[in-house]
Amino acid sequence: MIAELPASRKRTLAGLSNETFLTLFMIVVLVALFAIACLFVPRFYLLQNVINLFSNYWYVIILGIGVTFLLITGNFDMSVGGVVALTGVLSVWFCQGYAVSENALANGLGLPYVAAVGLALVGALAIGAVNAFFIARLKVPSIIVTLGTMMIARGVAQVITRGAQRNTSLPDAFGVVGNTFIPGTSIKIAVLIMVVLVAAAYLVEKKTVAGRRTYLIGANATAARLSGIQVSRHLALLYLVSALLAGVTGILLASEYKAGLSGRATGYEFDALVIALLGGVSIAGGFGSVLGMFVGAIILAVVTSAATGLLLSPDWQFTLKGIVTFVAILAQRFALDKRKG
Amino acid sequence: MDQAENVLEIRDLVKDFPAVRAVNHVSFDIKRNTIHCLVGENGAGKSTLIKVLTGAMQRSGGTILLNGEDYAPRSPKDAKEKGISTLFQELNVVDQLTVAENLTLGMEDTRLGFLRRTDKISAMVSVMNSLEPSIHPRMLVSRLSVAQKQIVEIAKAVATESDIIIMDEPTAAISEGEIARLFKIVKGLREKNVTVIYISHRLDEIFELGDYVTVMRDGRHIDTRPVSEVGDRSELIRMMIGKTVFEQYTPKEEACRDPILQVRGLSSHKLHDVSFDVHEGEIVGFYGLVGAGKTELARAIYGVDSHEGEISFKGKRLAPSPDKAIQAGIALVPEERRSQGLFTVLTIRGNVPVMNMRKISRGGFVNAAQERKVTREYIDKLRIATSSTEKEAAKLSGGNQQKVVFSKCLFADADLLMLDEPTRGIDVGAKSEIYGIVRRLSEQGKSIMIFSSELPEIMNICDTIYLLYDGRIKSTLRNGCDIDNEKILHIVTGGAAE
Repeated sequence: MIAELPASRKRTLAGLSNETFLTLFMIVVLVALFAIACLFVPRFYLLQNVINLFSNYWYVIILGIGVTFLLITGNFDMSVGGVVALTGVLSVWFCQGYAVSENALANGLGLPYVAAVGLALVGALAIGAVNAFFIARLKVPSIIVTLGTMMIARGVAQVITRGAQRNTSLPDAFGVVGNTFIPGTSIKIAVLIMVVLVAAAYLVEKKTVAGRRTYLIGANATAARLSGIQVSRHLALLYLVSALLAGVTGILLASEYKAGLSGRATGYEFDALVIALLGGVSIAGGFGSVLGMFVGAIILAVVTSAATGLLLSPDWQFTLKGIVTFVAILAQRFALDKRKG
Repeated sequence: MDQAENVLEIRDLVKDFPAVRAVNHVSFDIKRNTIHCLVGENGAGKSTLIKVLTGAMQRSGGTILLNGEDYAPRSPKDAKEKGISTLFQELNVVDQLTVAENLTLGMEDTRLGFLRRTDKISAMVSVMNSLEPSIHPRMLVSRLSVAQKQIVEIAKAVATESDIIIMDEPTAAISEGEIARLFKIVKGLREKNVTVIYISHRLDEIFELGDYVTVMRDGRHIDTRPVSEVGDRSELIRMMIGKTVFEQYTPKEEACRDPILQVRGLSSHKLHDVSFDVHEGEIVGFYGLVGAGKTELARAIYGVDSHEGEISFKGKRLAPSPDKAIQAGIALVPEERRSQGLFTVLTIRGNVPVMNMRKISRGGFVNAAQERKVTREYIDKLRIATSSTEKEAAKLSGGNQQKVVFSKCLFADADLLMLDEPTRGIDVGAKSEIYGIVRRLSEQGKSIMIFSSELPEIMNICDTIYLLYDGRIKSTLRNGCDIDNEKILHIVTGGAAE
């Protein structure tokens, strides 16, 4: 269709970078999907539903930030789901009353909430440090290392909760962060945190030297090193940040449910990966954006929520996600190839 | 069977590239069951000729007869089936497989998709044994030395009844002892009804091994004659360089400039006790052939590869890492443009400022306006042919890509610029522009080190020339009117320096 555009339009389209082009393309896809959903699902267009679309996936989007940066460098982080579970469980355990019950799962360390959160984040950073050490220092492929730490993180969470959950003898302060709403709305604080983090990530990506380094490493790690970029240090930093973001997510979710579950966030690492890919991040590195990832997340939200609205049984959700992923990524390839002519 | 005396007849062969005729009406014969050496400087057209023979490239004109029949391979695989195998410098063996598996690779007998053990393997193995009994067929190839891997490849070529085996610099990466063993095997191939085309920069090998030698220069065939009729290496060198007159270069006055870089006793796996000084404003050339250790020397100074010895820059010991080297004021234009120098998927703007982000940022934030300005400045200064700063580096021509890499290094504000094969694979126009840039930099007082395997390049711009052979500095010359090309080639091909 591009060929039929008037010359002036064509030139402006051609002037866009591939990244902007792809993000715009995915926004068009998003709008189209939304329109289709509005046609078939009653009341899909209501403001409240739109707000829900943006807010329901806050946790995957926060995880998606770290995952996106790492994908741009050409590396995976599959440990984020495990880290969410671990930090959630740790924050509960640290906060539970000390020797208050005969039930071992009701006893914790009795720390104040702030200290519990701080220490739980240290736990998240520890997982990030293990990732950083093996991937940045020892050059072990990231997929192997982070699959390992994914299981270790969740494994430790399972040990602490004895394979179940911890949800008793918690102070009132524990549930505050996760259950506070922006005044006058039904939007959780967590959603606001997500929006702030996405905005910050966008700034880092587009405006800072650290953002540039991320792309340079993904584009050509050898050339990056020869150009004086401390590749290992930067990768280590990104793994620590990714783990920290997962830690924050874990704490917010634990607070929301006032419980630490070892099974929390199972499969979120894949969701984070999927939204990044939907947003056009290249698995080969050097290409992609946080904004694209965000659009990818909303696309996924529209599709799953429309499916629920159509009374499709939740059993179909996985299949649907899979189909959407395939179609979207094929569409991207097609659009980019078309553009190259 | 009565076979013709000539296994290969090349007539009027031409290979054109855009703007360059790499092989120019070359005609010569190769006699059956001989070792035929092919020599010439870099750029003489040897590699192109070989690529045509192996089917990696298609000729532009002329004919080739193999065993009296027209020979026009479409691919290396096709060439192999017609009887020409090649031992490339990058060996074609699979490390994770055993010797026997490698020998039969691509020719396995299968039934219903399952491998079958057949006579083929034992036939291969017996050839292998006759060449080199010490290599066991069950050994993993990853445990063999480079020389042993070469022997496995030779065995495979012999066993598949190749008429001709082309060997491209087979001794470049192997030790003295292994060279002797390889030579014994190569000499033995004559009895196995195999003709060898042997390419080497080490002229002594030609005299030790060759029956015939063909000399090429500037894409032309100069001469083919029996090695016994070539007097000595200096005669061979004269044939290789001809009457080439280099653009005379008068080196700068050797005023009492201060040394900026001092290297003492630098050694690594490829370098042996290298010591030299580079002075302010000086252009120093390191000349040597493939495998002489030029790239290794550049990488050691830049802190990429581990090494022993003292390197001090501006009087201070240089810490071994590229980021420290850049901070101290050294920048490297690496040997491989696309894989080591350029970020091909990024734009020109994404490439130019990367070695000095501090200059276009404040408090970690990039100043986008300044970034674009700097990029435009270098596009103008180096005359990079592009429509905008936002063009992907991958879409530029080789010469323009190299200019982008140069821009990167110039923007680093280095006092010492190391250029590893700075004009490889770029056209004549871009070449002379790059020489112009180098000269201007040296006039501004910057020091430059050029690592090159092209003698004219070195002669063209360097004040001081170091000749490298086998990881050692063999000789030091001041450039100027009394420079002797023959002597230089004599030294860098392994001859003794007086």
